[in-house]
Amino acid sequence: MTPQPSPLENTAPAGALRLRVVALARDSGIALALVILLAVFASLSPLFLTAGNISNILTQIAINVCLAVGMTFVILIGGIDLSVGSVMAFCAVVSATLLTIDGLPVPAAVALSVLVSIAVGMLCGLFNGVVSSAFRIPSFIVTLGMLNIARGAALQWTDARSIYQFPDAFNDFGSATLIGLPAPFLVALGLVIVGWVVLTRTVFGRLIYAIGNNEEAVRLAGHDVLFYKIAAFTICGGTVGVAALLYMARLTVASPIMAIGFELNAIAAVIIGGTSLAGGRGSIIGTLLGAAIIGVLGNGLILIGVGDFVRQMITGGVIILAVVLDTVRLRRGRR
Amino acid sequence: MTPVPDPGRPAALEVRGLTKRFPGVLALDAVDLALAAGEVHAVAGENGAGKSSLIKLLGGAERPDGGHMRLNGQPYAPRSPLDAMRAGIRVVHQELQMLDQLSVAENLLFDSLPRRAFGLVDRPRLAQRAQALLAMVGLHDLDPARRVHGLGMAQRQLIEIAKALSADCRILILDEPTATLTTRETDRLFAIVRQLRGAGVAVLFVSHHLQELFEIADQVSVLRNGRKVATQPIADTSPDGLVRLMVGRDVAAAAGDALLPHGGQALRIEGLRFSGQSAGAAIDLAVHHGEILGIAGLVGSGRTETLRAICGVDRRIAGRIFRDGREVTITTPRDALAAGICLVTEDRKDEGLVLDMPIRANVTLATLRGHARSGWIRDAAEAVSARRMVGDLDIRCAGIEQHPRELSGGNQQKVVLAKWLLARPDVLILDEPTRGVDVAAKAEIHAVLRRAAEQGMAVIIVSSDLPELLAVSHRIAVLSKGVLAGEVARHAFDEQSILRMAYREYLRTEDDTAAVAA
Repeated sequence: MTPQPSPLENTAPAGALRLRVVALARDSGIALALVILLAVFASLSPLFLTAGNISNILTQIAINVCLAVGMTFVILIGGIDLSVGSVMAFCAVVSATLLTIDGLPVPAAVALSVLVSIAVGMLCGLFNGVVSSAFRIPSFIVTLGMLNIARGAALQWTDARSIYQFPDAFNDFGSATLIGLPAPFLVALGLVIVGWVVLTRTVFGRLIYAIGNNEEAVRLAGHDVLFYKIAAFTICGGTVGVAALLYMARLTVASPIMAIGFELNAIAAVIIGGTSLAGGRGSIIGTLLGAAIIGVLGNGLILIGVGDFVRQMITGGVIILAVVLDTVRLRRGRR
Repeated sequence: MTPVPDPGRPAALEVRGLTKRFPGVLALDAVDLALAAGEVHAVAGENGAGKSSLIKLLGGAERPDGGHMRLNGQPYAPRSPLDAMRAGIRVVHQELQMLDQLSVAENLLFDSLPRRAFGLVDRPRLAQRAQALLAMVGLHDLDPARRVHGLGMAQRQLIEIAKALSADCRILILDEPTATLTTRETDRLFAIVRQLRGAGVAVLFVSHHLQELFEIADQVSVLRNGRKVATQPIADTSPDGLVRLMVGRDVAAAAGDALLPHGGQALRIEGLRFSGQSAGAAIDLAVHHGEILGIAGLVGSGRTETLRAICGVDRRIAGRIFRDGREVTITTPRDALAAGICLVTEDRKDEGLVLDMPIRANVTLATLRGHARSGWIRDAAEAVSARRMVGDLDIRCAGIEQHPRELSGGNQQKVVLAKWLLARPDVLILDEPTRGVDVAAKAEIHAVLRRAAEQGMAVIIVSSDLPELLAVSHRIAVLSKGVLAGEVARHAFDEQSILRMAYREYLRTEDDTAAVAA
């Protein structure tokens, strides 16, 4: 992903322009796939392109978008986070406990639960980052461990029971709309924008990409690689905390067995969005589009009467297809 | 020049006009060589003289661009190392290639594991054959079932040699086989080599240890700049004679030997020790503002390790570092940068460049904070810097948004150099800055370094290309096997004496060769 053109860019020769077009084409190729998908479903089902259904899709993808934004940071540095679903459940049950304390004023309870959910997520991410980076253990292993730890912790915390009866103000947020858009989606969109700005405009983002590309070069250039790698996992944990809150508000319940397997959807969105599992290459915009493709596919297939099992098979095929296309394109580009 | 083998008996291996080109270099230039059965033939030459290329061609790892090879009179054109093995040519490489988690026996016979029905490995037969091979190299006590992991370097080296003997080996190529051996082990190896010679095997022996060549070889061939300059019976020459042959005629005084510096001392190293250095060795060095200090030495003499230890890239065992007379603590590359010391590493692809990011981002990687305001990158400032460096160093590219992946080696190297020059270091340290770089870009890089020195930068440059060091340095320090063997000032530059210093520690015959620290 190429950052914004600078005012001085006009002196650059045609080669630079070509490279920008290539970078743009990656995202727009995914966008094109999304548009085609929308057109196909619209023609097959009259219900698909209604305001109600679109709003429905946006609500459904909001949680995956949140998770995928954080996951993009982790995958860009060449890591992976498998603990996302479990950590989300743990964040949810802890903050739900605070949300249901008797006698606490509603605004205070909500504020507290929001802060704690995000903090718990970040702490889990911090653990993943510190252990995998400082001890040079593959993040696959560490987060697989965290997947079990967090799920166990969520079950232990609640004694395997679900927590209900949140304040109405909290639950209302899950179904609220603003300027016609579902509130959870707006939150997710906010994360997308922040993530995109950070990755494309800041020193931090630049180094995230560079570490994924060539960690040793970044270390030799005098940067604290460890810090950035740990930060990527911590950010991912933070977005998990946000996703947990959105999920609770929508379902009006926090369950220790919720969000099982959500990490796989988030990873799928990132990969379909063109981010390389090897790290160093990809974009948040691509991730948003990837999550949208998964969401549209799920919704559209149900509308045209394809069963849930077949839907799952098709989604899997799309993941493989996306990576194959990306690999082929990359190989051509390097020749 | 080619020694004529016994009439009526074709040479075991004969090469004629062997030529190999790599981008920018002629690695081998019409080399003739004949190897008789039952002969130990030594090959000597400086770094980059073409020894490795010769081994690669003979062993089938690379294919020649010209010339032909004959094996027992039959044309021989290996397409792969496997072809070479099938033809009876075995190479024992300098870098050992063992499968750590497998047993000694499995490593020994990996290419031809004895099998039973259904492709299962015949364990008893495997152990038996392994035992026999180990006995041949004197490792009678080593359990063949033991995993290779955890074995010492010397044992590994001997196993590697035993492995070469496992097949029907008619030509054995040994590349620096004694680098990690003690005198006793070396003696054992030589006994094996003599035994093989007696059995009619032709042995090609490549080593920096000139003394050893005189102990074991019958014939010696000397390579210089990819050409073979001599082949003669080893008895007819001496170590000094070989060094003279390796260097050739006296090199004319290098161009532009103007300006002897300098300002004050910019960097001083005292008692530097790094892992892998032989016991008791320690390095002292100093470089002044405005001075270009060359560091010469053979491959493996500790040049790279010295640079990396100074800059905190690899850990230092001991050693104090002074910048402008004040002691500084350097344990990470970051510390080095803060002290105004930059290291341009040897391997630009693995350690220098971020290949998938534009030139702009590569050039500013070490100075990113300077191109940002409270964490936000200032695009305009960054582009200005990148464009200035592209212009200053004349980097040929389609623009600052191009990715270095698409550039030539010389231009890639200039991008790396630009990154560090932009950091305005007081001390710039370069490891093989012109390796794989074409002649024109090389001259440009030299000019950049001279200019930097004129402006007061202290420059340290390590190169295997001695003429390069003679051309750009004000002073040359010579390392030999982890020891500072001497220093030569510009007015006293002389390729022969520098080379003799580089070989100094390798000519010693004490048992201290053993002291290869872990």
